[in-house]
Amino acid sequence: MTMLLAAPALLLIAVVFGWPMLRYAWLSFHADSVLTGLEPVANGGANWLRLAADQRFWLDAGQTARFALISVSLELLLALAIALLLHQRWRGRGAVRALTLLPWALPTTMMALGWRWIFNTPYGPIEVLARSLGLGSLDLLSTPSITWLVTVFADVWKTTPFITLILLAGLQSIPEDLYSAFRLEGGTPLQALRRVTLPLLLPYILLSLLFRLAQAFGVFDLVQVLTGGGPAGSTESIALYAYLNGMRFLDFGYSATVMLAGFLLLTAMILAGTLLLKSVGLLRPLDR
Amino acid sequence: MKLRRWLAGGALALLMALGVLVGSASSRAEEVSILMPSSFTDASADLVKTFNREHRGRIHLSLIRGPLNTESISDLAISSLLLGDAPFDALLMDVTWLPKYAAAGWLEPLDPWFDQGDQEQLVQGARLGNDYDGHLYRWPLVADVGLLYWRTDLMDQPPATPDALVEVAGRLVNSETVANGFVWQGRQYEGLSCDFLEVLQGFGGHWMDTTTNTMELDTPAATAAAAWLNDLISEGVSPYAVTNYAEAESLQAFKAGDAALMRNWPYAWAELQKDDSTVKGNVGISLMVAQPGERPGATLGSWGLSLMRQSQHQEAAVEAIRYLTSETAQRQRFLNNGYTPIQADLFNDPQMLKASPVLPDLLEALNHAVVRPPTPLYAQLSDVVQRELNGLFTAAGSADEAMSTTQQRSQTLLRAAGAKP
Repeated sequence: MTMLLAAPALLLIAVVFGWPMLRYAWLSFHADSVLTGLEPVANGGANWLRLAADQRFWLDAGQTARFALISVSLELLLALAIALLLHQRWRGRGAVRALTLLPWALPTTMMALGWRWIFNTPYGPIEVLARSLGLGSLDLLSTPSITWLVTVFADVWKTTPFITLILLAGLQSIPEDLYSAFRLEGGTPLQALRRVTLPLLLPYILLSLLFRLAQAFGVFDLVQVLTGGGPAGSTESIALYAYLNGMRFLDFGYSATVMLAGFLLLTAMILAGTLLLKSVGLLRPLDR
Repeated sequence: MKLRRWLAGGALALLMALGVLVGSASSRAEEVSILMPSSFTDASADLVKTFNREHRGRIHLSLIRGPLNTESISDLAISSLLLGDAPFDALLMDVTWLPKYAAAGWLEPLDPWFDQGDQEQLVQGARLGNDYDGHLYRWPLVADVGLLYWRTDLMDQPPATPDALVEVAGRLVNSETVANGFVWQGRQYEGLSCDFLEVLQGFGGHWMDTTTNTMELDTPAATAAAAWLNDLISEGVSPYAVTNYAEAESLQAFKAGDAALMRNWPYAWAELQKDDSTVKGNVGISLMVAQPGERPGATLGSWGLSLMRQSQHQEAAVEAIRYLTSETAQRQRFLNNGYTPIQADLFNDPQMLKASPVLPDLLEALNHAVVRPPTPLYAQLSDVVQRELNGLFTAAGSADEAMSTTQQRSQTLLRAAGAKP
């Protein structure tokens, strides 16, 4: 009976997720480029051999992981603080709640274009400010060691509201009685945060982490518009590299290989994270 | 295929909107549109007006103003071509795109319209890079080649061999006459591949044989070329900073009088003659050095017009292509915008020579033009070369190792993409 009820959902997942994955897996064992007339021709795993020795792919994988881990960590910390603040009762809270959601509501390409102008050298306001302070040119979008931080910043600005929203919903699900009881037992507000709020919020934190990690690992539009993967490839992500292989180099076999490899890396990362959390006992509240 | 179509959808919608905006005008005339980078549409505005006046009621030409960036415009064109219904009849193409577009079956051969006689009018360098698989797919609009700029106040004649270059530049640096000897493009990007190709040619080597898909990057000549470039940096003939130099940085150093020699494209000449240039009047143009007995090479840049296979107005589009590449058009584009012409006799034309005394030097370079490997996989192969060479310059290692890795990675790449051995 359970299976029967779950069948529509499983079918949907199979169609929109399972089939493309299988198709990618199949394509990754074929050459499908202009050299083959854009028709798939089996190439005996040559794509995977190429991937293993492809410095650009591994560099991009490292950069993508760095981007995802750092921006999601920052977003979580910020979102927790904002959610706690927005959960308190104060005048004008409704308006502020609506305002904090605004960055999330903006299309990514629009906001990336906006940041590109703001950080532009030499005409952007940041650059003008730096010059008037006598700091000289910052070249924020053309310095490989700095530009990736700009992409992190833009991502944090844009998606913190998303985590805030989930955490706020979580906070509202915690019964007020628990806090009253805790206070009655002589607990301080800080202790309440550690002993009541955080443990009960944990499922929401983990859920948003999962969502955001998967999303950040597949980052494409933000990087494509803000930096185009530059300078010198320092902000290129796996998804962007897969796009370039397909759309610019017209090598669809290798593009599928890159995309699939990115998916496998993400899965491995999440699996490792889950095992780690399990080993320290953090996942127990989820097993209810 | 579905996914590709879907991805391309957005770009097409944008193009169509552009097309509608640019289109308009008379309804009876045959509508022809050509997609170009914005710098070229802007330089051709007057020509389009004249063309439309002369063809009133028959053909109406409109240029679609694409992005300035070379890669962005290719992405835009490819997105709409993958859909199978591009809203332009012709496309202005960079020399490195042609094999990819031709192999994908997007281009219509121009052989029926341009014959041997037309070809013979062209300067040697402009005849290259227009063919794929025995068919003509592109007609050149402007020529572009790599050049060696030298300081006439620091040396009597430009160096012709690698040893002579090291000697003269090294001497000028050691005597502290100039800060840097030779500036070029060592950053990890396409410019490095162009520089390498010239030096490779000068050492008698080749990148690859595209008829058999054989890479030739671990040959003694290729290794010697890579080692020579690396030694320029390690021996101080070139500053370490060239490992992050593109054209603009090299030009900046040379223009400020901080370098004795520079590798760059023809556009640099006009920049060096401006009033803010320290070296104005002290600059000569020559060819990249070559070993005694080897032919020097000048990497071919260049843009040209291609006809789309699915165009409904092929005859009219070719008429527009002919007009935009005519002698009048070349003259106008050279005098107003400094674009190098493609027709041989224009290089001896008094009016043109008056505008630029270096035309004969450009002609000489165009006669030594070499093309980057005309394979549909060029972009990826070039990426491997850029990575390995820049890695060699910036980290410890030998040219031998770097070139043998380049060779191996290039071969794996060819195999994975389905190249027949």
